[in-house]
Amino acid sequence: MLEVMIGRPRGVLLRGWSAVVDDYAIAGGWIPDGKVFLVGDASGGVYAFDGGIGSTVWTHQGAHEGGLLSLDIHPSGAKFATVGQDGRVLIWGVAEGKVRNITEVGKGWVENVAWSPDGQWLAVSCSRKVHVYDAEGRESWHSDDHPSTVSAIAWSSKGELATACYGRVTFFDASNGETLQLLEWKGSLISMVLSPDGEVVACGCQDNSVHFWRRSTEEDSQLTGYLGKPSSLAFDDTSTLLATGGGDVVTVWSFSEEGPEDTMPGVFALHRESITALAFTHEMRLASGGRDGSVVIWTLESNGEGYPVGGALLGDVVAGLHWRSDGRALAALDARGGVTAWQVRK
Amino acid sequence: MNTPQKIPVTVLTGFLGSGKTTLLNRILSEQHGKRIAVIENEYGQIGIDHELVINADEEIFEMSNGCICCSVRGDLIRVLGNLMKRRDKFDYVLVETTGLADPGPVAQTFFTDDEIREEYKLDGIITLVDAMHIEQQLDRSEESSEQIAFADVLLLNKTDLVDNTALDKLETRLRTMNRMARVVRSEQADVPVDTVLNLAAFDLDELLKRRPSFLESEYPFEWTGVYSLESGRHTLQLAEGPDPEMSLVIVPEQETDDFALREGAELCVRQYAEPPEQLQPGDSIPIGKHVSLQLNLSGRKSFVLELDSQMQMGLYAQHTAEEFELQMMNSDGVVVPATSERVWAAHHGHDDEVGSFAIEVDGDIDPDMFNEWLAKLLREQGPDLFRMKGFLSFVGEPERIVLQGVHMVVDGQPDGPWGDAPRRNQLVFIGRALEEESIRQGFEACLK
Repeated sequence: MLEVMIGRPRGVLLRGWSAVVDDYAIAGGWIPDGKVFLVGDASGGVYAFDGGIGSTVWTHQGAHEGGLLSLDIHPSGAKFATVGQDGRVLIWGVAEGKVRNITEVGKGWVENVAWSPDGQWLAVSCSRKVHVYDAEGRESWHSDDHPSTVSAIAWSSKGELATACYGRVTFFDASNGETLQLLEWKGSLISMVLSPDGEVVACGCQDNSVHFWRRSTEEDSQLTGYLGKPSSLAFDDTSTLLATGGGDVVTVWSFSEEGPEDTMPGVFALHRESITALAFTHEMRLASGGRDGSVVIWTLESNGEGYPVGGALLGDVVAGLHWRSDGRALAALDARGGVTAWQVRK
Repeated sequence: MNTPQKIPVTVLTGFLGSGKTTLLNRILSEQHGKRIAVIENEYGQIGIDHELVINADEEIFEMSNGCICCSVRGDLIRVLGNLMKRRDKFDYVLVETTGLADPGPVAQTFFTDDEIREEYKLDGIITLVDAMHIEQQLDRSEESSEQIAFADVLLLNKTDLVDNTALDKLETRLRTMNRMARVVRSEQADVPVDTVLNLAAFDLDELLKRRPSFLESEYPFEWTGVYSLESGRHTLQLAEGPDPEMSLVIVPEQETDDFALREGAELCVRQYAEPPEQLQPGDSIPIGKHVSLQLNLSGRKSFVLELDSQMQMGLYAQHTAEEFELQMMNSDGVVVPATSERVWAAHHGHDDEVGSFAIEVDGDIDPDMFNEWLAKLLREQGPDLFRMKGFLSFVGEPERIVLQGVHMVVDGQPDGPWGDAPRRNQLVFIGRALEEESIRQGFEACLK
């Protein structure tokens, strides 16, 4: 078994660069070519680091009064959006670090933000509504009130917008906001992930379970036995493996053949505290992070089994894990404001 | 990784108009040195002048199993989950619920959600009571009785709008519903901040350190009269009453506000613990001493009260003045009326569905039998059992076991050796339509 130790990264993880931001590193991401890594912190600081060496390209403080809540990068890599407790969406230019557009969404927190895969639409959620803006930042449409605050949003590969809230997942037509599909379950859905092939939508529930639907048949199933809330979820790019947190183990369900119903998941225990972040890259390679600051890289097989191939230990709770699009670098955010990037071997 | 201090959270409940926002503003203005985050479910009425106010709609998350005991508040999980990321930026949280809020899911959020439990501790539930309107509210709505039942502090507010007799009656009713809560009276929610913050009401270790018996004491006296007297020889006159004798303590320099009366009451509880000096009619009553007036002679009886100087004194009597036709006369034989009166008696006037009771027994409990019995009780009556608190003496266990629960979430742990203290058990139950007798019998059956 792999020993995870402070200091030197182990296995496939090779020393890269590290940087520090002023507060809890709440959100981040690589621009598609990997040249810049962006970070937003809890008190509203926004930072651009050089993707290769970690030097600061630019920083901006106090972008969102009360705090920044989320960040998403446009598929072109030229701009990105941040949202926060001030009820606003800011659109920034990556290169110059200047705000290009400000939109007041509402009085509540704007908690989720996501660009559509084609880059044509920007979706945000603010309390019970979801709003969609066009490329020029004009509101295209907004939904009616959901039954509760929208807890997660995601774009399907076909360009539909999905929202999760207490009791339901809704798929909207991106262009006009028409409801395309409504999937209901009397439970509190706190997280959501869509399979890249568009067939499965899975949600973590407050009552320590994962609920998922197959969209073509609208049949649903429940995955139970978790010791904590599955707030992190990740699908691999072949839509075969669903990795879930919940408690201090990583649980991987395989959708190959008849699964995951009536199958045993892969269960991986190396973290000593609960799982806080999960991210897949290509070839069924998974990164997992925990409250204890540990980061582990796993190589998985299509049946959900697998083994650790690398690891590192950060100084605080892992707040986010972000693979560079080529899978050869991984960046981790932590609660103390640390940003750590590693080179990753094959 | 590291275990930093958990952030305390105080929940303010109470019907619309009971004074929650007034209290909130008072706390914020007095605690200006602290960074306090306010989560407001009821907004749009009176503004709160404070930078860290987060408006959030109340969202109750019921679980798919349908158990109301598992319900939590989604809005609190979301907002608190985000606030804790900026940990260094605030050190206290106040939650102002709507008037119709069910406190159950609020409390459960702090015990059942791992992430919240890790960072926050519920410090206490403060329920504001509009003294003028609460009786109607109690008769009409379940929410208001649940808010009373869950409270650690009942703030009886707007007392200036109601006369003392009605207040005493109301307090008695509230106490019957919740024997665990401390009752505090106020006019415009003007109470010292330390009566509502940093109570550690859910931290049994802390609580037991401060109040070894966390039951509100049942006072050994039923009535207090405060008299403003000139110097000289006064007489206290009594007729026959229900008892051939009556205990009494006179407290000097008695003020008439609620705090002073409660302070006087605490003083008297200690005096009452001493054996009384028996006084015959005609004897002089010493000040600050527990005395027992002997009243078996027929007719009106007089006792003497000599004062060297003018004084406002409190007379804490075992029975109400009415029962013995008690009167204070000055040296000219003129009746001096009491400037203020307070009835402490626990007469069960109302038959509220929500109620509370305490079990207190000496001896040791068999832990296996107790666990089995408690599990069954929670299974069958969990939804109706709002709160439970207490300590137990387990057979063969050198430490005292403290226990506390909200609905079906019960936590028990040892909190230190009994030492020389007499081993006994005390459990308070608050709930709806609880079968006191069967719970009592069930508990006593676990005695070894």
